[in-house]
Amino acid sequence: MSEQTGKQLSKEEKDARFEAELLPVLDPLYNFAYRLTLDEDDANDLVQETYLKAYRFFDYFEQGTNAKAWLFRILKNSFINEFRKKSKQPAKVDYSEVEGYYNTEDVEGDNGVATTTDMRTESVQDLIGDEVASALNTLPVDFRTVIILCDLEGFTYEEMAKILDIPIGTVRSRLHRARNSLKEKLEKYARTMGYNS
Amino acid sequence: MEPKFTEMYQKEPAGEMDGACGQVADLLDSMVDGEATAEEQRFFNSHIEECVNCFENHQKQKLLKGLISGHLKRVIVPESLAQTIKAKIQETI
Repeated sequence: MSEQTGKQLSKEEKDARFEAELLPVLDPLYNFAYRLTLDEDDANDLVQETYLKAYRFFDYFEQGTNAKAWLFRILKNSFINEFRKKSKQPAKVDYSEVEGYYNTEDVEGDNGVATTTDMRTESVQDLIGDEVASALNTLPVDFRTVIILCDLEGFTYEEMAKILDIPIGTVRSRLHRARNSLKEKLEKYARTMGYNS
Repeated sequence: MEPKFTEMYQKEPAGEMDGACGQVADLLDSMVDGEATAEEQRFFNSHIEECVNCFENHQKQKLLKGLISGHLKRVIVPESLAQTIKAKIQETI
């Protein structure tokens, strides 16, 4: 949010611009909210709150600039400032729950590969998606956030720095640590599926 | 006490990487994210042509990024959400 654009919009103009420029971001915004809160109702509330704020501060939004980054920034701040406090559930999956899960799915030696080969491609894809999601969900929210912004939403480091209010150097190091942590979790899973890392 | 401490501090990290491999490792993220400069890309690409380890690390890093961008399911936005937002905005004015 930098300077005010100066000219006052009529309500009709404002509503039209709001719908044309900000509402198309609803899908990625909702997905981001869901990945932060890990709860559909919470994601719903967070997105509503974000759009209400965006409408209230719409005069500060410079037309033609990055609407997606602007909304992501508002949502991220809402999540930190208010939502996290209000929410009874911590925005984190209990680590031990997931950790135990991997250990119980023990594969019998090297024969584990056989079980994967006769699965249809689609279900393998689903399986991979589920595993990636659960590994991602066990990461601390700051790590999860940079991975989502970078790999799912394709923001640049510079945009991420603006969304998160941190220097680019911190974006880099946080992303690096987040990926190492995710890699560790996924390699563990790959081994249980009989793949060598 | 003092010399001991210094000694410990100067120890090389366990997985000793030579200079170039270390630099390449530091560039892995920038490379897969398309954030490396032209010069960094040249350095990186010429190194991984010769170094199997770094080549493999690059493949793994690309795979990891691909797992998120290609396999993480998107959640479906509730149909009513856009309408709810529009309605709430009108209420608050």
